[in-house]
Amino acid sequence: MSMMAPSISVVPDSDVAEISRSLWGDAWKRLSRRPSAMICMGIVAVYLLVGLASFLPVFDRKIEQAVADGYQGPSFKSFDRLLGTDIQGFPVIWRLLYGTRVALLITIFASVLSLGIGVTLGIVAGYFGGWIDDIITWLFTTVSSVPWILLMIAMVYALKGRMFPWFVIENRRPHFAWAEMDPTVMIILALGLTDWVGICRLIRGEVLKHRERDYVQAARAAGVGTGRILSRHILPNVFHLVIISFSLGAVAYVQAEVVLTFLGLGITGRPSWGRMIDDAKLELLRGVWWQAVAATAAIGILCLALNLLGDALRDALDPRLRGAD
Amino acid sequence: MWAYIVRRILLTIPTVLGIVLLTFVLFTLVSKDPARAYAGKQANETTLRAIRHKMGLDKKPFFDLEGAREKHSIKAFFDTQFFDLLFFRFPQSMRYEDSVWHLLKTKGPVSLAIQVPAFLILLGLELAIALYVANHRGKTADVLVTTISILGMSIPALSIYLAAQWFFGAQLQIFPVAGWEGGFYAIQFAALPILCVIFSQLGWGARFYRTVVLDELGSDYVRTARAKGLPQREVMLTHVLRNVMIPVVTNTVAALPFLLLGALVLEHLFQIPGMGELIVQSIFNEDRSVVMGLVYLTSIAYCIALLLSDILYSVVDPRVSLR
Repeated sequence: MSMMAPSISVVPDSDVAEISRSLWGDAWKRLSRRPSAMICMGIVAVYLLVGLASFLPVFDRKIEQAVADGYQGPSFKSFDRLLGTDIQGFPVIWRLLYGTRVALLITIFASVLSLGIGVTLGIVAGYFGGWIDDIITWLFTTVSSVPWILLMIAMVYALKGRMFPWFVIENRRPHFAWAEMDPTVMIILALGLTDWVGICRLIRGEVLKHRERDYVQAARAAGVGTGRILSRHILPNVFHLVIISFSLGAVAYVQAEVVLTFLGLGITGRPSWGRMIDDAKLELLRGVWWQAVAATAAIGILCLALNLLGDALRDALDPRLRGAD
Repeated sequence: MWAYIVRRILLTIPTVLGIVLLTFVLFTLVSKDPARAYAGKQANETTLRAIRHKMGLDKKPFFDLEGAREKHSIKAFFDTQFFDLLFFRFPQSMRYEDSVWHLLKTKGPVSLAIQVPAFLILLGLELAIALYVANHRGKTADVLVTTISILGMSIPALSIYLAAQWFFGAQLQIFPVAGWEGGFYAIQFAALPILCVIFSQLGWGARFYRTVVLDELGSDYVRTARAKGLPQREVMLTHVLRNVMIPVVTNTVAALPFLLLGALVLEHLFQIPGMGELIVQSIFNEDRSVVMGLVYLTSIAYCIALLLSDILYSVVDPRVSLR
C-alpha cells in the first residue's frame, strides 16, 4: 500500500486524525471511547485474575476448614466469615472464590471446544461449498433441531457413569487407568459439543461472502495453498465473530452450569456457583440467604459485564450491525 | 409460494433422519449398558437379560438379516432398535410400567396448565411494554426497561425462582411453596410457577419485541400513515401492531413444543408432576426409554413447528417465496 504514491482519501479532513491502519486498532479505539465497555472489561479481568489465583492450593484447604459450628450470618469480624458460613460451617467467601475456578474451567474449555468445532466446520463449509457444505449444513440443522437443554441432558446421560481411560494420579504417580469421568470434564464436553451450531452458521455465512472477494481471488491466483488461504487470509477476517461469540457464550455456559447442577447432572464433589444456589433451595426457607445471594451476585455481575461487553464488542468490531440493538 | 413450501417440506426429511440418528447414537452407541445401569451392580445375568428384553435392547441395532431369514418376513428385517425409534415404537418405561405415549398423555396437561397461561400473559405484557417503550425511545421508561431486561438476562433464572418462592411462598404465604393437586385447585399451585416464568422471561421478550417494533417504526408505511395525519395511537395499534404480529405468530409456533416440555428447572423446583419433571426423574431412575423417547419426540415436534412457522411466514409475507 505504501508504494502507491498519491494516496486517495475519501475521508473528510476532520476525520484524518482518526484513521487507523487495522481493524483491531479501530475496534480498540471505538471500544475505549465507551466508559461502560472499559468498566466491563475491568470486571471480567478481575474475575479472570481471581479464577487463575483460585488454582492455588490454599483455596483447596480453605473450603474445607470449618470456621463455625453451622450456619452463621455474614460478619465483618474476620475475612473468613465475611459472607457467613454454610451448614457445615465452611466459609461461604472461600466457596465463592473457589467457584471461579470451576466457572473459568468451564467457560474456557467449553468455548475452545465449541468455537474450535464451529469455526473449523464453518470455514470449511463456506469455502469449499458443494457436497461438503451440504453435509455440514445438514449436521448443524440436525443438531440445532434438538432443543439445547435436552441435547445437553442427553449428552450428560450418555457420558454419566461410563468408564473412560483416564489420567489419574495415585500415590503421586500419574498413570492411565479406567475411571469415571470427572463431572467438570463432563459438563465441558456436554456444553462444547452441543453449542458449536450458532458460530458455525455465522462463520459459514460470512465465509461465503469472503470467498468471492478480490483478496481471496488474488491469493488464489498467486498460488497460495488452500490451507494458507483459510488460515492466514479468511480466518483473520471472520475472527471478530469468534470474539463476540466467546463473550456471549461464556454467559450461557455459566448459567448452564447452574441448571445442570440443579438437575443433578452437574458438579459434584467440589463447590461451584451452581452448587451454592442448589444448596440454597432448602436454606432460603430457613432464612439462610447469604449463600444464595453471594452466588447469584457473583454470576449476575460477571454475566452483566459479559453481556454489555459482548454488545460493545459487536458495535466496535462489526459496525454494520450497529443500531440493531 | 407453493414451490417454496414443497421445497421446505422436502428439506425437513433429512433433518428428521438426522435427529433419529443423533438420538440413536447418543442413547444406544455411546451410552453405557442401560440394563446394568437400571438393575444395579448386583444383578445377575438372567435378570439383565430379562431387562434387556423389556427395554428392546436384545434386538439388532440397524437391520436384522438373520431374523428376516428365519421368519421369512421383511417386517422382521426392520424389527430393530433403530426402526423402533424411527417409527415411535418406544419400549415401556421401566419405572412407571407404562408406555411413553401414555405418560405423555397424563403428564402433558400438567405442564400445559402452567406454560399456556404463562405464555399468553407473557406475550401480552411483552407486546404492551415493547409498543410503549419503542414509542418513547430514550426516555426514562425505555432506559429502565432496557436496564432491567439486561439485568434479568444476567441473573440465573433459578435464582429468580428461588427468590419468588421465598418471598411469595414463605414470607407472604400467598401461595403454597411447592406441590401440585389436580382439578380446580391446580390454580393455587400453578400461580407461583406462572409468576416465575413471567418474571424470568419478561425482560428478554420485551427487549426482543422492542427491537422488532423499532424496526417497523422506521419503515415507509409508518411515515405515510403519520404524514396523512393519523394519530400516533392509531398508527401504533392498527398499522404497527399488525405487522409486528408476523414475528409474534412465527415465534409462537416455534415455541409450541417447549410449552409441552415445560420448564425442567421450574417443575423440578416446585415439584410439579409435568413433562419436565418426568425427564429429570427418568434420568435419576436410569429410565432410558422415557428419556430417549421424550428427547426424540420433542426434537421432531420442534422440527415440525419450525417447518410450520416457515410455511406460515411465507403465507403471511409473500416476499419470502421470491428467495
